Amino acid sequence: MRCGDFRQTYEQDMAIFDSAFGRRVFLLFLAGVAFLPALASGFWMDVLNRILIAVIAATGLNILTGFTGQISLGNAAFLAVGAYVTSYLTGRWNLPFLVVIPLAGLATAGVGMVFGMPSLRLKGLYLAVATLAAHFVIEFVISHWDSVTGGVNGMSVPPARLWGLVLKGDRPLFYLIFPLTVAMLLFAKNLFRTKVGKAFVAIRDQDISAEVMGVHVFKYKLLSFGVSSFYVGVAGALVAYQAGTLSPETFPISLAIDFLGMIIIGGMGSILGSILGAIFITLLPELLRLGVTPLASHFPELTTLFASLKMGVFGLAIVLFLVFEPDGMAARWHSIKSYWKLYPFSY
Amino acid sequence: MEFFLQLVLSGLVVGSIYALVGLGFVVIYKSSSILNFAQGEFLMLGAYVCVAIFTTAKVPFLAAFVLTLGFSALLGVALERVLLRPMIGEPVISVIMLTLGLASVLKAVVQGIWGTDTRPYPEIFPTTPVQIGPLPVSQGYLYSVGSVLVLLALFSVFFKYSRAGIAMRATAFSQQVALSMGISVKRIFALAWSIAAVVSAVGGVLLGGVRGGVDGAFALFGLKVIPVVILGGLDSVAGAIVGGMVMGVLENLAGGYLDPLLGGGVKEVAPFVALVAILTLRPYGLFGKIKIERV
Amino acid sequence: MTLRSRLAVAALLVLVAGQVQAQEVKVGGIFDLTGITSDVGKPYAQAVRDCVANANASGGVNGKQIKLVDVDYGYKIPEAASAYKRMTEDEKTILINGWGTGDTLRLKDSVNADKVPYFSGSFAGDLTDPAKTPYNFFVAPSYSDQARAWLSWVKEDWKDKSRKPRVAFFYGDNAYGKAPLAAAKQFCAEVGIDVAGDYVLPPNFQDANSQLLAMKQAGADYAYINVTTTGVSLVLKGARALGLSTKWGSNPYGFSEQLPLVAKELAEGVTGVMPHVPYGEDVPGMKAILAFNKANRGGQAHDALYVRGWASATVWIEALRRADKAGKLTGEGVKAALETFRDFDLGGLTANVTYTSTDHRPSTKCAVYQVKGGKLVKLKDYEFPRRPDWLGL
Repeated sequence: MRCGDFRQTYEQDMAIFDSAFGRRVFLLFLAGVAFLPALASGFWMDVLNRILIAVIAATGLNILTGFTGQISLGNAAFLAVGAYVTSYLTGRWNLPFLVVIPLAGLATAGVGMVFGMPSLRLKGLYLAVATLAAHFVIEFVISHWDSVTGGVNGMSVPPARLWGLVLKGDRPLFYLIFPLTVAMLLFAKNLFRTKVGKAFVAIRDQDISAEVMGVHVFKYKLLSFGVSSFYVGVAGALVAYQAGTLSPETFPISLAIDFLGMIIIGGMGSILGSILGAIFITLLPELLRLGVTPLASHFPELTTLFASLKMGVFGLAIVLFLVFEPDGMAARWHSIKSYWKLYPFSY
Repeated sequence: MEFFLQLVLSGLVVGSIYALVGLGFVVIYKSSSILNFAQGEFLMLGAYVCVAIFTTAKVPFLAAFVLTLGFSALLGVALERVLLRPMIGEPVISVIMLTLGLASVLKAVVQGIWGTDTRPYPEIFPTTPVQIGPLPVSQGYLYSVGSVLVLLALFSVFFKYSRAGIAMRATAFSQQVALSMGISVKRIFALAWSIAAVVSAVGGVLLGGVRGGVDGAFALFGLKVIPVVILGGLDSVAGAIVGGMVMGVLENLAGGYLDPLLGGGVKEVAPFVALVAILTLRPYGLFGKIKIERV
Repeated sequence: MTLRSRLAVAALLVLVAGQVQAQEVKVGGIFDLTGITSDVGKPYAQAVRDCVANANASGGVNGKQIKLVDVDYGYKIPEAASAYKRMTEDEKTILINGWGTGDTLRLKDSVNADKVPYFSGSFAGDLTDPAKTPYNFFVAPSYSDQARAWLSWVKEDWKDKSRKPRVAFFYGDNAYGKAPLAAAKQFCAEVGIDVAGDYVLPPNFQDANSQLLAMKQAGADYAYINVTTTGVSLVLKGARALGLSTKWGSNPYGFSEQLPLVAKELAEGVTGVMPHVPYGEDVPGMKAILAFNKANRGGQAHDALYVRGWASATVWIEALRRADKAGKLTGEGVKAALETFRDFDLGGLTANVTYTSTDHRPSTKCAVYQVKGGKLVKLKDYEFPRRPDWLGL
C-alpha cells in the first residue's frame, strides 16, 4: 500500500498527476462536465458559463497575486478592457472569435503592463492603491469615449462567429468557453513548472533574494502583470460574447473584490484554488437564492433583505476563511486527500 | 477670479470631511500598518446609529451623539479582538481582504436593519449659510472644519505627551522593541481601532447633518479618502488633514473647469489621476515617513 | 424527520407546485428595491404587485391567474441580465415588467431576439421606435416629451422679452440621466431657449457645489434636474446654500409627493413633469387603486410612483387578456395585442395609450406640476404632435 510520497525522479516530482489513475479520473471529470449542457436548464447554463469565465479570470488574478505576490484591485477594469476590445473588433470589423479572443487578451495584457509599471517602485499596499486608481481611470475612459465604447449607453456585441459558424446563446458558447478554460488552466499549471513561473514564485517569497539569485525582478513582475491581464482579457472577451450588450455598469469595483474573494477563499498560489474559489463565489448567491425563494412567498420582506443577505454572506465567508483557513479551500482539499491516503494510520 | 475663489473655498470645506475620515485611516495605519478599507462603513454606521438612537430613545441629539461615540469605541475594540488579532503576521493581501470582507458585512448589517431609504437627520445646524468672503457656506461644514482643527490639536498633544500616544508611536516604530519595553501591543491596536471608529463616527454625524440625512452612499467615502491619505502620507496626522483639504479643492477645480470640457465625471476621477501621479513621484506622500522598500 | 427525508419532501413539493401552475400566466418583474434608485423603485414595484393581485382577485387573465416572478436586482446590470435569463429560460415568463434605463438598454437586444415584451419604468425616447426596439414598451409620454413639456412651460413662464431664457441641465452620468438631453436641446433651439450648459452629477454624489458654481457663472435662469428624488433634494440644498435664484424643474423620478417630504421647504416653487397623476387625485382610474389599498392595506397612502407602476401593470394585463382572447398567449401574441391599443383609457391615471406597429410612443401629453405649500399643484397639460422626426428621439 502506498502511504506517502515515493518520488524518485525529477519527472515524477514535476508531474501534474501522481498516477495514471489520477489522470484518468481527471479526464473522466472533464468528459462529465462536457455533458452538463444536456442536463442543465437555460438558467443553469448561464451560471455554468459564468463559473467557467470566473475560473479563467481568477486564475489570471492568482498568477499575479497568489504566485507573484502583487496585489491588484484593477481586475474589473481589465475585464472591461477585454470585453470592449472584443465588442469593438467583432462589431466594427466583424472578425471571427479565433482572432478576436487572442487580440482581446493581448490588448488587455498591454493595458495591464502599463498599470503594472508602478510595481517597479511600489509594493503591497501602495500597489493595491495604484491598481485601484487604474480601475477608476479606465472606468472614466470607457464611460466617456463614446465613439468607441458607446459611452454610458453601452454597445451591443454581435455573437461569436467563425466562418459560417455562429455561437449564439449559452449552450453553443459553452463549447467555446469550456475547452478554452481547460486549455488556459493547463497552460497556467505548466507555467509554474517552467523558469518563468518559478521566477514569479521567487519574487513572491522574497524579492531581494530573487534578485540576488539572478531573477530580473522588474522584468518578471511586468511579465506577471502581462500574463495575468491576458487571462483576464480573455475572460473579458467571453463576458462580452455571453452578455451580448456591454455598459460601464457591467464592471463595478465590487467585481474586482469578488475576484479577490475567489482566490482568497479558493487558495492563493494554487490553480486548484482558483477553480474552487470561482465556483464557490459564483454559486453562493445562486444557492442562497434557491434557499430563500421558497420562503419568500411566506415572508415577502425576504426579497428586499436578499441583497443584504448576499452581501453579508459574501463578506462573512471571506472573513471566516481568512481567520480559520487562510490557505483556502485548496489546502483543505489537500489535507482531506492526504488524510484518506494515510488512513487509518494518520495522526 | 471670484469663481476660482469660490471653488477653492467650497473645496476646502468639503475637504474637511475627507480629512476627518482620513484621520481614522492614519491612526490605524500608524500603529498597525493596516490600510482599513472599511473606514467608509464605519462612517456610515456611526451616522445611522446616531440617528437611530436619537429617534428611538428620544434623547437630545447631543446625548445620542455621545452614545454613538461610545458605541463606536466599543465596536473598534471588538473588531480588533475578534478579527484583526488573528491577522497579525499575515500577508498584506489577507489583511486588505479582511477589511474588504468586513466592509461587506457592515454594509449588509446596516442595509438589513435600516433599509436603503435615506434616513432624515434632525436639523442640528442652523440652515442659514454663513458668508465667508465670496462664498456662502452652510454651517455644518464650519463645524466640520472646527472639529478637524480640534482633532488635530488633540492628536498632536496625544501623540506627543500622553503615555498611550507615545506607546502607539513606539509600536509603529517597532513592535518587538515596544513589546520588550513592556507595552501591550494588543492593547495599542485595540485603542487605534476604537479611535478610528470614533473619529469616523464624528465624520458620519457631521456629514449626516450637512446632507440632512444618511444613506448607503456614505460608505463610498472610504474609497474617496484613499487618495487623500496617500497624498498626505499614510502615517501623518497633519498629512491627512492637508491631504483632505487639497483633494477637496482639486475635486472642485477639476469639476468647475474640466467637467464642461470633458463631458462630466472628471470631478470624481481627478483624485485618482492625482493618486497615480503621487505614487510615481512621491509614494510616501507629502508628510509621510520616507521608508519605502524598493526592489 | 432526517435531513434527507426533509430534502426529499421539499423536492417533492417543488415538483408538485410545478404541476399545479398549469393554469397560470407567468410574468417577470425586475425591480430595484435596494439599489441607488430604490427610493423610487419600491413604490413602483409595490404597485405592480398590487395591481396583479387586484387583477387576479377579479378573474386574472380570463380565468387564468397571473403569477408575478419578481426579483430585486439592486440596479446592478449583470444581476438584471442573469435574472432575465432565469425568467425567460426557466420560468418561461411571456412578458417582463422591468425598471431602469440601464437594465432596459442592456436587455433590449435579448428581448427582441427572444420575443419577450419588456415594460420599463424607463421612458427613454429611443425605446419608442419599433424598427429598432420592437419589444420595448412603457406607459407614459417619453422622457423627451416630458422635457419638451417642461421647456414649453419655461417659455411661457419667461416674461423678459429682451432676451431668451437660459436653461441648464443637471443629470447623472448614466443612460437614464442622458436620455432626454438630445431631444431637449433640439427643442430648445426650435422654440428659442438658450442652453446654459450641462452639469454632470456623479452617482452617489455628496455635494454639487462645483457644478452649481459653474452654472451660476453661466447665468442660468432655469435648470432641469434629471436624477432621482434624493439627488434633486441635494442639488436644491446646495443651491439654497449658495443663494441661487434659478428656477428648478425636475424629471418624473425626482418629482413626486416624496420631494416636499425629503427636501421640505426647499421644494417650494420647484416645478416638475408628472406623466402620472399624484396618488389620490380625483380621476376615475384612481378608484380601483384606492379601493384595493382600503381593502388590503388599511387605506395606506402612496405616491405618484405607485400610480406609475399601477398604470404600467394595467396596460400589460389588458394586453394579456386581449392576447388570450385571440388565442395567442405568447410574447409575440402579447406584442400584437399591444399594437391594437388605440386611445386605451386608463381613467386619467396617465394620458390615453396608443401603440401601433410603427410607433410605440404611448402618448405625447404631459402635465407640469409645481410644489405650492408642500402640495403638488397642476399648472398645465402640454401635448405634442406625433412628429415622425421625433420618433425614437
